[in-house]
Amino acid sequence: MNEKSGWGDYILYLLGAVVIIILVRDIYVIARLPQEAQQGAIFKIIFFHVPVAITAMIAAAVALVASVLFLITRNFRYDALAVAVTEVGLAFLAANLITGSIWGRIIWGQWWAWDARLTSALVCWILYAAYLMLRRAVEEPTQRATFAAVWSIFSFIDVPIVIFSIKWWRTQHPQPVFWGGGSFPPDWKAVFLWNMLAMVLLAIVMTVVRVRQENAQRELDSLRRTAHAM
Amino acid sequence: MHLQSIPLLFAQIATPDDIVREAARLQRNYEFLSYGLTIAWVILVIYVLFMVSRGRKLKREIASLKAMLEDRR
Repeated sequence: MNEKSGWGDYILYLLGAVVIIILVRDIYVIARLPQEAQQGAIFKIIFFHVPVAITAMIAAAVALVASVLFLITRNFRYDALAVAVTEVGLAFLAANLITGSIWGRIIWGQWWAWDARLTSALVCWILYAAYLMLRRAVEEPTQRATFAAVWSIFSFIDVPIVIFSIKWWRTQHPQPVFWGGGSFPPDWKAVFLWNMLAMVLLAIVMTVVRVRQENAQRELDSLRRTAHAM
Repeated sequence: MHLQSIPLLFAQIATPDDIVREAARLQRNYEFLSYGLTIAWVILVIYVLFMVSRGRKLKREIASLKAMLEDRR
């Protein structure tokens, strides 16, 4: 891949190490926190469930901006960023859906409820998975990037629905802790924010690695074209 | 009248069966928490491994194509 990126590699490794340190510390701290009075230990899943959800939503917003910028500039760097951040966001959203489902099995007595929040989040996951499938279906690079950018912009329509569904409709999904009139004890809030930071940093590291792979893929395609032409 | 916390109220009215049931509920709670966190991490680790393997494959293909092009030149 890019051999000139020595400093970039060091920063990336450093960020990765910081993420691992924060997460290991957080797992230790979370395990030692007392149980929540009503829900018991399962409540602690919120320390992962919510940060991965927020990270996935940030990833969708970055994909939207990158897709719009690609359509304006036709610069493939933005296309690489859009695909990278979408793929990473999809992994985080999958983790969010599954941790939420496990929480629901204990608190609601069922794995899944077709309420507005859960359904819109699942639709969001399917839309962004379709984005990646669409990219595989189109061969020509410019056409592929254009179609994908348009699909990414269309898919983003679902993101505000996911976020505000708990405000707009009566849902089985609970209201958010911070944004729904609830609160955490200060030490819980600190752990939550540290975990949030760790998840965002992890997503940044993954996205940078994925962008590099996308650039390498373009280099490979170009080499293949040269080989065919010779 | 002061409202008592649920665990305190529970301790006052609980029968031995209730305590066994509550202990089982807490155990199940911990089990599901560990399943949730394990699955979340497994998903992210699988994705990282997938990225590493894709990166290695790309490096290998680029190196072999470059070598082939050098030979042809």
